[in-house]
Amino acid sequence: MSEPALLELEDISKNYGNIIALTGVTTLVNAGEVTCVLGDNGAGKSTFIKIIAGAHQQSEGILKVDGEEVMFDSPRDALARGIATVYQDLAVVPLMSVWRNFFLGSEPTKGFGPIRWIDRKKASRIAKEEMGKMGIDIRDTEQAVGTLSGGERQSVAIARAAYFGAKVLLLDEPTSALGVKQSGVVLKYILEARNRGLGVIFITHNPNHAWPVGDRFLILNRGVSMGNFAKDEITRDELIMMMAGGAELEELTRELEQAAAGDEALSHLAEEFAEEVGELEERAEHDE
Amino acid sequence: MTTDVATADVPAAAPDERLAYRGPIQRLLVQPEIGALLGAISIWVFFWAVTVPFGTAIGTANWLDVAATLGIMAVAVALLMIGGEFDLSAGAMTGATGILVILLVKDTAGGGAGLSLWIGIPLSFVLALGIGWFNGTLVERTALPSFIVTLGAFFVIKGAKLGFAKLFVETIQVGRIDEGAGHDFWRKIFSSVWTRNDHIFNSRDTVYVALLVVGGVAILLGLLELTYRRRASFNPGGLPIAGIGAAAGLVGLFALHGTEGTGANFIWSIVMGAGVLIGAYGIALWRFEPNPDRGALQLPGGLLRPAGLGTGLVILGVFFGLILDSAPALKPDRTVDTIFFLLTEQGLRAILFVGLSIVGLVLLLIAASRARNFSSTSGTVVSIYTAIVVTVLAFIIQSESDAPKFRAELFSVLLLVALLMATWAVVGLYFEQRRFPDEAPDRLGRVLAIAGVVLASVGVVFRLLFTTDSELPTLVGQTQFRVSILWFLLSAGLATWVLARTKFGSWTFAVGGSKSASRQVGVPAARTKTQLFMIVSAAAWLVGMLLAFRLQTIQASTGDGKEFEYIIAAVVGGTLLMGGYGSAAGAAIGAMIMAMSFQGIPFAGWNSDWRFLFLGVILLLAVMANNYIRKTAEEAS
Repeated sequence: MSEPALLELEDISKNYGNIIALTGVTTLVNAGEVTCVLGDNGAGKSTFIKIIAGAHQQSEGILKVDGEEVMFDSPRDALARGIATVYQDLAVVPLMSVWRNFFLGSEPTKGFGPIRWIDRKKASRIAKEEMGKMGIDIRDTEQAVGTLSGGERQSVAIARAAYFGAKVLLLDEPTSALGVKQSGVVLKYILEARNRGLGVIFITHNPNHAWPVGDRFLILNRGVSMGNFAKDEITRDELIMMMAGGAELEELTRELEQAAAGDEALSHLAEEFAEEVGELEERAEHDE
Repeated sequence: MTTDVATADVPAAAPDERLAYRGPIQRLLVQPEIGALLGAISIWVFFWAVTVPFGTAIGTANWLDVAATLGIMAVAVALLMIGGEFDLSAGAMTGATGILVILLVKDTAGGGAGLSLWIGIPLSFVLALGIGWFNGTLVERTALPSFIVTLGAFFVIKGAKLGFAKLFVETIQVGRIDEGAGHDFWRKIFSSVWTRNDHIFNSRDTVYVALLVVGGVAILLGLLELTYRRRASFNPGGLPIAGIGAAAGLVGLFALHGTEGTGANFIWSIVMGAGVLIGAYGIALWRFEPNPDRGALQLPGGLLRPAGLGTGLVILGVFFGLILDSAPALKPDRTVDTIFFLLTEQGLRAILFVGLSIVGLVLLLIAASRARNFSSTSGTVVSIYTAIVVTVLAFIIQSESDAPKFRAELFSVLLLVALLMATWAVVGLYFEQRRFPDEAPDRLGRVLAIAGVVLASVGVVFRLLFTTDSELPTLVGQTQFRVSILWFLLSAGLATWVLARTKFGSWTFAVGGSKSASRQVGVPAARTKTQLFMIVSAAAWLVGMLLAFRLQTIQASTGDGKEFEYIIAAVVGGTLLMGGYGSAAGAAIGAMIMAMSFQGIPFAGWNSDWRFLFLGVILLLAVMANNYIRKTAEEAS
């Protein structure tokens, strides 16, 4: 690759006092690619986000933007470098209209001298166009964001970040609170953003969501990087195994079986779980 | 099936099937201030009905004056509440700024600073802004609820008012502002009056009626634009019909203006009404498309039941009205002097007649709007039937009532309502309702409707402001409109514009709706909130000036305890207590509602202590109505 990656992490670690939150994380984000960061709860995903978004600084390791070594002092700093974070709460105001939310904080104005007012027509038009580019047709931009579905709300936040010059989109668990169909819609927006040449970091705990859209996978478990793979270096089942930590899964199976002794309904469940884990392991080995 | 409309830059995308078209009425209901507006209209009608002077220029000047000082503050407090904060020191601040300016300009011998008003007024303004800045900064820095911070500020200001008044002028009455230099000039700004009886304008009623008619026609045309589907190319055949209608309407209007006597009035009214009907039909024929599928007349039970019940209730209401009136001893003397009038037999008669007729009419209207879903023919039949019932009711009121304003004014209003309903129904029979939003006609429709409302309001203002020669001898008191009303309208208009159109307005909604979200996208939340507090203190300063120049002397307790009235006005006007939603215009209307009840109760001859009961009921009703309207509107959207 001749051009430097949009964002490059080399051996990033983060300690909070004596607590090691993250160690040895290496990955990169290219333009027009989706890098998925996978991990179960407590895997260090939020620490990872905070470092890239500029809320915290890494303790060790190198962060490069466009090949240039940087250390973010604040979220504003990260934003200035073109890294836009879409948090789980989306930073939208539910009672306000779509276009007001889209331009909140950076409203286009017209007028003369100090007397300026919002160019409503322009704001409404751009919001509609930008949402259209994400493949979502907002007929009425006066609609309150609170009345949109979860996926559409996500798309408002993504389209807004893209419009205001983001090069790297950092999406924090965008599908976690959504149903199956809405998650699919959000995955589609992620692909749209990728096709528009943005680098996307997609943070999730659901490998089924990551696999179809990801070009690169970073797997975190208990603050440790389990590896950083391009899509052709790994299979879906390996991904799932690695994410959950194979040994832990087996242990969990045993525990579940123990607990189920004597309870028919539960033991049925334990059996199923064990079967599933076994199957998964088998397939992963087979793929190798 | 939609033919392409002459909208310019919108691509011919297929309409989103998830987005049902909402009619103009439904879209209007989403506005936060609409509940307050309906409330204001019913309260006005109520006091107009039970008192003699309320609807006159004197009564209007009276309640508008009260609404002005309340409204200036309510508008500012509404902005602050939309931004998610409260200011309990707002009331005390109005008195404090007045006392401050008086102390600044009072003679040094009397304990003042002896400054000129040219210095004292700007200086007091800056100090007032300082109080707001202090409140806002304290709330932001401590992150304590503004409720408690400004409660502290309230006591500080209250104490300072009393303390400094005693300290400098040795009494709690601080006066007088006319000791300051430049009083003549500033009195004009803050305390001039328009005395109606000094301004005679004999063509007043002609201007009034003309503006009302033109305004009404504009509203009708606007509603047509907003409701029906436009033709791809206009049909010029409708224009001559519209012309004939307009001509007939004008002939009727002028003949009505030029003739005397009931018989002639009646005939020319019919000519005018027919003109309106034909004109509206012609315009519709010219601009809109006929309904390809008109549908046969269907009258299923779901329709006949409300319609039948409605008719029954109206008949029952009329029956009670006639029966209970048969005892001549109970003929009311029209000075209603107690609220317990409603418990007498005459009161019972009024309640039964008015209540049953209104419920009946509402049922009929529900039936009409339901019928439109079955077929447009059914809708038309039920609407015209309802219009006929309204007309009959109008004539019964005219022949039976002994109060002139019911006999004449209510009669005309009901006839007008019936005429509009009939027009609407006849036009609706042939022209399809729109199913999809359509930007160009919507804009024209909105402009026409707004222009209509403005024209009609200008007409009403004309009628209120001027007097005629024939009226002069009958005028009892002097009618004075104070300049504070102008300040009120100005600040309400400015605040509405700022909220709807400026960055600051957007940020106000944002910091009230979700402070963390607005921070994340770069809205300066702390600064916005501080500025909102400063707006409240600036409004308090304005009210302080209005009070100081009107009263010359200000009591140390002036304004204390008023802060809840401002909050009530804002809430009645549709502002959410939690912030993030509301309107400045609504707060202004809320202030009018409160002023109307404050002034209407003594006008009705009732003990003015009843007003608190009234206030509480209004507050509860308004909150519930707003809640209900917002929910239905959001569900519908």
